[in-house]
Amino acid sequence: MGEAIDGGPASPAVPAKRRRFKWRRLLRAVHRDAGYLCVGFTFIYAISGIAVNHIADLGDTSFTQIEETVPLTFEVPADDTAAAAIAAEALDIDGELTDAYRASDNQLILTFERMSVDIDTTAKQVHINGQEPRFFLRIANWLHVHRQTTAWTYIADAYAIMLLYLAMSGMFMIAGRKGLLGRGGLLVAAGVAIPIAFVVASGGPTGG
Amino acid sequence: MLARREFIRTAAKGTAVVALGGAAWYVLDDELTRKARAQTRPDGRPRLPPGQRVLSKLKPMGGTPGSPKVSEFRLRVHGEVDAPFTVDFRALLGMKPVTTRADVHCVTGWSVLDAQWTGVRIKDLAERAGLKRSARFLIVEAAHGYTANVPVAPALRDDCLITWRLDGKPLARAHGAPVRALIPDLYFWKSAKWVTGLRFSSVDRPGYWEKRGYHNVGDPWKEQRHG
Repeated sequence: MGEAIDGGPASPAVPAKRRRFKWRRLLRAVHRDAGYLCVGFTFIYAISGIAVNHIADLGDTSFTQIEETVPLTFEVPADDTAAAAIAAEALDIDGELTDAYRASDNQLILTFERMSVDIDTTAKQVHINGQEPRFFLRIANWLHVHRQTTAWTYIADAYAIMLLYLAMSGMFMIAGRKGLLGRGGLLVAAGVAIPIAFVVASGGPTGG
Repeated sequence: MLARREFIRTAAKGTAVVALGGAAWYVLDDELTRKARAQTRPDGRPRLPPGQRVLSKLKPMGGTPGSPKVSEFRLRVHGEVDAPFTVDFRALLGMKPVTTRADVHCVTGWSVLDAQWTGVRIKDLAERAGLKRSARFLIVEAAHGYTANVPVAPALRDDCLITWRLDGKPLARAHGAPVRALIPDLYFWKSAKWVTGLRFSSVDRPGYWEKRGYHNVGDPWKEQRHG
């Protein structure tokens, strides 16, 4: 018998109880951490996925489109740089002039960073068109379809593997009264059956 | 600070307004679709191919844009031709431009009818280059290596253009400015934006989307969307 630290008598020795490995607790902990890690990725892929799914209705969501025709109210000097400066001020266009092109005696096409300005001195009209990027959607769409570097492909693969883990671990992380024989099993079966039923009903990839 | 109930109420109202607005937009657009479905083309085919909905104007569909600088634009006509040539924008404007009305059909399911396009006929460009009898396909070349393949016969129809004006206005950047192709009777991905060349070929060369699962021909009336 040893001596207790505080000087009192030590407790009688208790045989060490073997702790049971709680795999469900580990599953839940890893599921939670993977879930945290997946939040940012899921927002990127889900939002840009909806944008791509509805591209026929929404068009390219990465940009807002600007298209306008206004009367020509300013002089167009022979010098292109001077003409561009006057046009930029009159039309309130920011950004650097990258090109000035005289397509004909009566047509000057100015290209700014995000805008093109087509000045028709005969019709006395100015056509303005361009695109303004939407910050989040442009980045999310770019990441979603990005195939230029392998680095992002590895990151996206890792995210896909985490999603697989979340799906698999989600089935077992809470025991439930009936386990997978109850509501859980029905929902899993529905998740598998819905895409199969759709493929069968639509004729699949060869059925259009 | 916004109370929880107030927030939910405002969000519900906002959702209802968006949903009703969307429904009204759908109903209006569907009126165009209904009218188009009742029409027939001179060649006997229905005006609207199956599975299409009519929109009042083109939708920008993305893609990696080419340079919008007009001074950098060059169109190269080459391949199975006797006299390949390259033109800049000014030279293109000087080559018998025509204005035509054409319907276009996007593979994602929308169509725009009666759009007015101004440009040079692909047929005229091919003629100037001296098209060889061995040419069976036109490969439309565009910025960043994008290509689209089209059999020569439909590409030489009178309404197939290299175009720079849409509905009386310069083509917008999002629609391929300064210059795009127009091949109206095939799905619109064949009408490459930011076009840089027309290559005539004796053999078929599937293009960007054709290699990624889209149909090699892309006839909207046969719904040839996917390969």
